[in-house]
Amino acid sequence: MNAPLIEAVGLSKTFPGKGLFRKGKPVQAVKHIDATVARGEAVGVVGESGSGKSTLGRMMLGLIPLTEGSVRFDGAPMEKASATEWRRLRRRMQIVFQDPYGSLDPRRRVGDQIADGMKIHGLFNAAQREQRVAELLNKVGLDPTHAQRFPHEFSGGQRQRIGIARALSTGPEFLVADEPVSALDVSIQAQVIQLLGELRRDLGLAMLFISHDLPVVANLCDRVIVMYLGRVMEEGPAKHIFAHPVHPYTRALLSATPMLDPEKRSKRILLQGDPPSPSNPPSGCVFRTRCAHARDACAQAIPELRPFGDGTARVACIRAEEIS
Amino acid sequence: MKKLWIPGAIVALIILLAVLAPVLGLPDPVRQDIANRLAGPMDGSPLGRDEFGRDVLSRLIWGARTSLSVAFASAIIAGIIGTAFGLIGGWFRGLGEILTVRSMDIILCFPPVLLALLVVTLMGPGAGTLILVLSVLYLPGFARVTYAEVLSARSLDYVEAVRALGAPTGRILLRTVLPNVAGPVLVQLSLAVASAVVLESGLSFLGLGVVPPAPSWGLMIRGARATMEQAPMLLLWPCVALTLTILAMNLLCDGLRDAVDPRTPATRKRFRVVDRLLPGLLPASAPRTDAVLDVRDLTVEIATPRGAIRPVQGVSLAVHAGETLAVVGESGSGKSVTATTVMGLMPPIARPVEGHAWFGGRDLLSLKEPELRALRGGPMAMVFQDPMSSLNPVHTVGAQVVEAIQAHQKVSSSEAWAQAEALFKRVGIADPAKRLRVYPHEMSGGMRQRVMIAMAIANRPKLLICDEPTTALDVTVQAQILDLLNELKRETGMGMIFITHSLGVVSEIADRVAVMYAGQVVEQGSVAEVFSHPLHPYTRALLAAVPEGDEPPQGIPGIVPPPHAFPVGCRFAPRCKFATAACTEAPLPLEEIRADRQVRCIRWHELTSTEAAA
Amino acid sequence: MRWFLRRIGVSLALAWIVATIVFMTLHMVPGDPAEILLSTGGVAPDPAAVAELRERLGLELPLMTQYGNFLLGLTRGDLGVSLVDEYPVLDEIALRLPRTLELIFAGTIIAVIVALPAGTYAALHRGGLFDRIASGTAALLLAVPVFVVGTVLVLVLAQMLRLMPAGGYVPFAQNPLQHLTLLALPALAIAKGLAAVVFRMTRASVLDALSRDYVRTARAKGISPTRVLVRHVVRNALTPVLTVLGLHMGTLLGGTVLVEYVFNWPGMSTPLLRAVEARDYPMVVGIVLTISGLFLLINLIMDLLYAALDPRIRTA
Repeated sequence: MNAPLIEAVGLSKTFPGKGLFRKGKPVQAVKHIDATVARGEAVGVVGESGSGKSTLGRMMLGLIPLTEGSVRFDGAPMEKASATEWRRLRRRMQIVFQDPYGSLDPRRRVGDQIADGMKIHGLFNAAQREQRVAELLNKVGLDPTHAQRFPHEFSGGQRQRIGIARALSTGPEFLVADEPVSALDVSIQAQVIQLLGELRRDLGLAMLFISHDLPVVANLCDRVIVMYLGRVMEEGPAKHIFAHPVHPYTRALLSATPMLDPEKRSKRILLQGDPPSPSNPPSGCVFRTRCAHARDACAQAIPELRPFGDGTARVACIRAEEIS
Repeated sequence: MKKLWIPGAIVALIILLAVLAPVLGLPDPVRQDIANRLAGPMDGSPLGRDEFGRDVLSRLIWGARTSLSVAFASAIIAGIIGTAFGLIGGWFRGLGEILTVRSMDIILCFPPVLLALLVVTLMGPGAGTLILVLSVLYLPGFARVTYAEVLSARSLDYVEAVRALGAPTGRILLRTVLPNVAGPVLVQLSLAVASAVVLESGLSFLGLGVVPPAPSWGLMIRGARATMEQAPMLLLWPCVALTLTILAMNLLCDGLRDAVDPRTPATRKRFRVVDRLLPGLLPASAPRTDAVLDVRDLTVEIATPRGAIRPVQGVSLAVHAGETLAVVGESGSGKSVTATTVMGLMPPIARPVEGHAWFGGRDLLSLKEPELRALRGGPMAMVFQDPMSSLNPVHTVGAQVVEAIQAHQKVSSSEAWAQAEALFKRVGIADPAKRLRVYPHEMSGGMRQRVMIAMAIANRPKLLICDEPTTALDVTVQAQILDLLNELKRETGMGMIFITHSLGVVSEIADRVAVMYAGQVVEQGSVAEVFSHPLHPYTRALLAAVPEGDEPPQGIPGIVPPPHAFPVGCRFAPRCKFATAACTEAPLPLEEIRADRQVRCIRWHELTSTEAAA
Repeated sequence: MRWFLRRIGVSLALAWIVATIVFMTLHMVPGDPAEILLSTGGVAPDPAAVAELRERLGLELPLMTQYGNFLLGLTRGDLGVSLVDEYPVLDEIALRLPRTLELIFAGTIIAVIVALPAGTYAALHRGGLFDRIASGTAALLLAVPVFVVGTVLVLVLAQMLRLMPAGGYVPFAQNPLQHLTLLALPALAIAKGLAAVVFRMTRASVLDALSRDYVRTARAKGISPTRVLVRHVVRNALTPVLTVLGLHMGTLLGGTVLVEYVFNWPGMSTPLLRAVEARDYPMVVGIVLTISGLFLLINLIMDLLYAALDPRIRTA
């Protein structure tokens, strides 16, 4: 594997509680997370709502300020970047959103929106930009004449393609895809997954693919990070984790995922109740309140993420050896 | 847009008159002529003279000039400052927000006329004072509207996208946020102008606004009041002018608001609690069937502004006791419309035009609303997709379950609550007695869906329709709910229809499956058979699109056609790689190839045999 | 409960801010209030008289001391005396406030009784004859300023048809029937704008509630249409109506000043207008503070009602 392109160390994010007169409890969205993405690598981040996966993606892009930790892009720490350096950095990393309807400005032509990034960074002249918009539309499987249309003239899947074209316009090396297919129908979902896979191969993009759908991630990504309540539960090669999950949460998540093929279905592990609120996480292991293997020791200390087995995967569970 | 036309033209005319007042050749509005005091219509004065012999028409038009210039000046001053405040407060938050937006709330603590009177006391009456007071009064409105819009714009994905592209703050505010805010600010501006005209005339009427002898509608009414017994018409003209102006402005505001607000009432669903009208079909005889629900050739028509559409056409489904039938399809396949129609819950603009839905020997589609009501929530019940919006936020969940029980059973209140508690326990809600008294917003999504299920099974239904009950839930919670539904079905032997878009969920929960595409059933059979040997090209493509295993998922090119553009022949033909000319010629029948196995494709046999050969 | 106490705290803080602003505006205005008060028709007042007035008003004291005295007076209900006739401001207010309150109360009751059912009915039969007539009427009522309605009512009913007295006031104890007759017109004038606002909001929010998922759930339970309407539609539609009612109270209080003037109803407006013209500061300040306080109180009550109607507010 190549040297890391983007490297996050000890990332934490705490959102202040809401309310003017009585301050709500602060929400710990992300707590002490390390994540790296190498050039050309696709890393999946999997978790349910409240796991902090979207927050992690936005922190790695510098779109929201970090409470703790640091992110290095291509070796240089991003938090030390000056305004001009930031402008240069912005070109090199981009984001694709979940909601195909909210992610495009309804009042502007899609061609103009795709050209925005090039305009902001003063790339090319007007004619070249137009040429490039046509190329980008072509690349994501749309007709170049579509540049003149408005977002409402497109279907959900087509809008998602436009969003991808916009993200590609500045020639980024790193792309965060925040649940890019969860709002789409199955047949369209597969189209977009195919497209992202092709782009990754053709352009050598490094990608952080955020999703709640484990099979999608296993299919598209090299590595996967499993998150729960703002912490990493397990991390490792995607195919490996999909086939041999160790952490009780990963196993439960996998067994809860509906599978077409009855043979692929592992024995259903039913979790009790709902995930606790991120503003009031349990002590010790955050998963212990729903874990069938929890012991008193699990409440004592926060389990560290440590190599497991042959060392390809890392697990944050003190009982990993016993239960696997 | 038509709503904007007439009031817009009236307002434009009034503004034009006011602007052109000096060049219209009107008599001097302040020149007194005591000889013609209170004179009726006369030469050069079509509306007569007032109590000082001044020309009424001239004073009306010059009065409009006074009123409108005060109103526009104050609205525009307030608009510019307020919008800037709102932009700053909404974008930078923190201290900026407190200084620019929160501080405005203090102005709102004063009733407007009172604040105006206070300032008039200090500064004396006059147009300048009025403009100052009115701009201060409307400042919070603009600041708040802009602030709220900026806040919502901040969280929009496309604003974040521009940020991710590296656009500087100024560019984002001006190019992306301001256009978003422009609509509501324009509405606010027109509201402020209309309201300023009212306030100005009111203060002038009290003698505390515009200073006499300057012409103003409020002053004219004040003057005419003194002489209203001799000359009532004098009172009429300014009253009419004032009312007409404000009416036109209000209507313009309403029109603007509708044009700006995407949720215009015209596109909202029409709905009435009056009984539905049904086509006067002759009752067909009930078929001999052991199915709990037997839907035959159901076609639903919806009247839309673009003409009638048929989102469901010729759908036949049957579900037996103790069986789960999954109806699977993408958005626009008509699966929810089918279920909602069977339950009689569609709005009146949608009506079943063909077919039957046999339930216990009766055709649901020909039942009157009171008869249907006796069945709904009793022998047939439904669980909906979004448990948050499907529960009434102002009643406790217990009260909502009790309501369902008492609608179908004659039991005392305490007995109903006891039943509700038992139901909560049955659907796996811990500490049921306490949870009964909780409001929906105090529960998690999974718990709310359990409440919905408790409500649905309260009266031991024979048929339970679940419309995407787990789509809004997390995977681990979805697994819990699926388990619960399976258990309940086994226990009670009810028939279940499970609507979903997820093939994985179908495989987990259903015995039989009906695959729907563009308003039709394209394939039906047992889950094991359909999934292992799909016959219809759409079913195959759908299965290949599921990301499972090492193969990358295969997308289906193109999109589901909208109901007003359904193809004549096979509706999947435009996206089908096996389509031939014959496929597009005429509507295809749903072919029964053996017991409980149907497919709507003319080439299914050909395709399976070539594959077998290969 | 904690929410309740916090909300009362907010109201008290707002009342303090209002009082402070009124005090500051008074002292920030250019010129000496005593001088302005005594100058008539551009004639410079007698310096001795000005000094004497300054002394009486306490204007010689340091600003902070004046402010302290002002707040102290407020907590004791001491609003000072009128500069014109040296009558205690509080006594004047105590005499007239009940009459103003009676007017507001009667107007609000009339508006709600008429507009709530009408709005609900119009929404249920959207696009029907009643809906169109009522919506049109509401638009018209909203457009006519309150003093125009008042003046026209007086002109038509009192002057031309001689059906009603043109205005005035008789204490209830003295002649109940006469009192109510005199109350009718001003109360109607006050009710008109409020009724239009409540009608429009009721109609809109009932329409909105009708399209909600929980109404579909209620229908899916098989409960009777009346029950669906009362418990699920109207019950939920009330919250936005209440909000609008609260927002409109400011306009209503201002409208009261105009209505009292038009109908010669001896409420708070008579001394207020007289005091504004005469620049009788203590009287203006006293009345403005009283009505603003009333406004804050009404909004407090609205918020509490709001919380009673919507459980989400209580726990938020």
